[in-house]
Amino acid sequence: MYGWVGQVLRINLTNGTIKKEALDQAEAGKYLGARGLGTRLWIKEVGPTVDALSAENNLIFMTGPLTGTLATNGGRYNVVCKSPLTGAMAASNSGGYWGPELKYAGYDGIIFEGKAEKPVYVWINDDQVEIRCAEHLWGKDVIETTDTLRAETDFDAKVACIGPAGENLVKFACIVNDYTRAAGRSGVGAVMGFKNLKAVVVKGTGAVRVADPDGFLEALTKAREMVRSHPVTGTGLGLYGTGILINILDQSGGLPVNNFRDSGTFPNADATSGETLAKTYLVRNKGCMGCAIGCGRIVNVPDGPFKGFGEGPEYEAQWSLGADCGVDNLAAIVRANNYCNELGLDPISMGATIACAFELFEIGAISEKETGRAIRFGDAEAMVELTRQTAYREGFGNELAEGSYRLASKFGHPELSMSVKKQELPAYDPRGLQGLGLNYATSNRGGCHVRGYMTSPEILGIPEKLDNLATEGKAGWTKTFQDLTAAVDSSGICLFLTFAIGAPEVAAQLSTATGVECTADDVLKIGERIWNMERLFNLANGFTKDDDTLPPRLLKEPMKVGPLKGVVNKLSEMLPEYYKVRGWDEDGRPTPEKLEELGL
Amino acid sequence: MGGQLLKSLRSWGYKEVIRLKVKFFALLRDITRVKETVDFTGGTVLELLENLCSHYGKRLAEWIFAPSVVGKKKELSGNVIILVNGRAIEHLAGIETPLKQDDEVAIFPRMAGG
Amino acid sequence: MAKVLMIDPGKCISCRTCELACVFKHDKEFRPSAARVNVVQFEKEGISVPLMCLQCETAACLKVCPTGALKKNAATGALEVADDRCIRCKMCINACPFGNATFDAVKNRVLRCDLCGGDPQCAKFCPGGAITYVEATSGTLAKKRAYAAKFKDALEVAK
Repeated sequence: MYGWVGQVLRINLTNGTIKKEALDQAEAGKYLGARGLGTRLWIKEVGPTVDALSAENNLIFMTGPLTGTLATNGGRYNVVCKSPLTGAMAASNSGGYWGPELKYAGYDGIIFEGKAEKPVYVWINDDQVEIRCAEHLWGKDVIETTDTLRAETDFDAKVACIGPAGENLVKFACIVNDYTRAAGRSGVGAVMGFKNLKAVVVKGTGAVRVADPDGFLEALTKAREMVRSHPVTGTGLGLYGTGILINILDQSGGLPVNNFRDSGTFPNADATSGETLAKTYLVRNKGCMGCAIGCGRIVNVPDGPFKGFGEGPEYEAQWSLGADCGVDNLAAIVRANNYCNELGLDPISMGATIACAFELFEIGAISEKETGRAIRFGDAEAMVELTRQTAYREGFGNELAEGSYRLASKFGHPELSMSVKKQELPAYDPRGLQGLGLNYATSNRGGCHVRGYMTSPEILGIPEKLDNLATEGKAGWTKTFQDLTAAVDSSGICLFLTFAIGAPEVAAQLSTATGVECTADDVLKIGERIWNMERLFNLANGFTKDDDTLPPRLLKEPMKVGPLKGVVNKLSEMLPEYYKVRGWDEDGRPTPEKLEELGL
Repeated sequence: MGGQLLKSLRSWGYKEVIRLKVKFFALLRDITRVKETVDFTGGTVLELLENLCSHYGKRLAEWIFAPSVVGKKKELSGNVIILVNGRAIEHLAGIETPLKQDDEVAIFPRMAGG
Repeated sequence: MAKVLMIDPGKCISCRTCELACVFKHDKEFRPSAARVNVVQFEKEGISVPLMCLQCETAACLKVCPTGALKKNAATGALEVADDRCIRCKMCINACPFGNATFDAVKNRVLRCDLCGGDPQCAKFCPGGAITYVEATSGTLAKKRAYAAKFKDALEVAK
């Protein structure tokens, strides 16, 4: 096969069996790889109603046909399983070098079944695969685990592992590969921890081949040129990282502040911005395999209480651990983000859950009896310490480890969880970005911006400027963004490229790599198929149209300050139209005609 | 000033002096060397931008304006995001958006993240 | 005048694009283990160094080659291996003090940079300018310019 390497590993952790299976070519053609194919393989073999924390919940690591090639930023892979945070399908995307390495070892993906009796790790050295004891690694953080495993196996091996958060089944634990890159959202790390799987170590010396090398080179050269010459991907992201957005969102009135309570403007936003990070703690940029952008930030806080070296934060973390907690101390944000990397936590859900706790404390729903100390918005030290405690479920961290929805519900205020389908919302207030609000509400994995990045047209004017306060036409735009994203995620390339390139360039690279002819329309159709498949899973799992909503605060409480003072999200104006453009019925169920059209 | 008098003055080219706050971000700060400034130009966004460009020089002008075409009106380059009191000028009156006392204008290079 | 490959690790973003471009140029497939350039990563320090053969003038590999399989390409200045004359003794790999010649066990051959016949793909695809292919005059040496700029700044301050 071309693009794909044609083989999938199936490892049963209960009985220790390891099988190599041929990749199902027909399914690969329909769902590409990574997010799409991973989800398809999961649904085929596991029933929707299994408990996320049970041996039956398969954990799938899947690459795409462009992963490991010179395609525009083919460094990505996805982790697919049922999410312990949301109960919906989790498909978490990560970069770095691990995904490509898995393909060089000869596998498009790995399906983990069952549950090991004791902690184990898996060592994949080309065609030799073994399950090894990991009891000596249990409790160790990501850095020490990665160092130890490379010393035990091969210095050039790539490691994807969990930290203490995953071991302790924190509902939003992530899986970290190559020290600092994470399949971050929806708690995939907790599923790995439940399976007693500490790490997957890979070394590969084989090749990824493409069907039409000359055509592929031509397609990728064109796409790379577009990436290089585009102001966003060519200069902006590299210079300032994703944190460039802090000031833009703040000035536009769309930056959520203090658990979205005081959204509109954050008085000291600039102190936490990408510009400030670049001037203070940034050491240099970093890119994933084959990256032409380099948005990664290698940072060092040289002294003070938050001293430390690491990677990140990126925009969402800069906000969640910053403005959302009322914290304007950039060093503290860097420290907490380092904890997230080292201990294996999703920084978006972490910061947002702490913000929720701060608000619960301020209204008196929780007190020092539970928290051990006063915790209020703006308390940088508390934010950093609670992050650490959460990974170990220490003290009040044990409550935070359940995520904001369970935390707020337990203390009588579920409405204070700023989440959709129990997953915390990222760094854009949907009152200021109407279309992004629609995307949040309809995202198949709950609160998420990278399922349909409406910020791009609504705030940044890419590919064209839409009025962020208008609702008209947003349904169609949201659908297109969601479908294109699903296809891009499933190809194994980085979503950031879509600032510069579109479906035609993705299609050209896919066609020449795989040898399966594919047009821009086909790309969008594949994306739509994946979206509907995820939707069907959620429906079978008990989700209804009532779950396609936003926290009441965002629908009812007008913004109090800033340029968008007085605004709420008008979801009800957009949702019926969204169902219509999706070809779904009034209850948000795909119609039989739509399913037939998509071959589902 | 009385309404009638102001009208006559305007027709002779007079502009009221108003105070605006202008904020620069990202790469533009490297050009202006300041994060914000106060400007006393009246009129429209276009007049403000021209005033800023004459003050901060060619590099700023290259960011903001498209290469000029003889006989054509000045156009933005598309490489900047301009907000007046938090609203993108696309949703106001574009570069003809009128400015008034104490307005805040924010200028960004068109950049993105996520 | 011949061009040379220059590396500037300060600009390396660790993306390994050079490895992919290199191996694709030579083998039309993506197998970084057979790349003639490698990005050596120091993750704890956040530093990465791209390394490839820099074509020594008096090369140790050339001296130890018993069959004359290594020849300098007059046009590019690159030392190239003639696979048909090479007896795979691997003496060149052992002789190179930098580790810049390697052996590809899969395809049974010595791997070393041949400057892609004068159009090195690593430099062409490098997104950060960490690898460049330039005329080796002092005017084009980025390091010299960067350092000279510091003098300029100091003098300007003193003015």
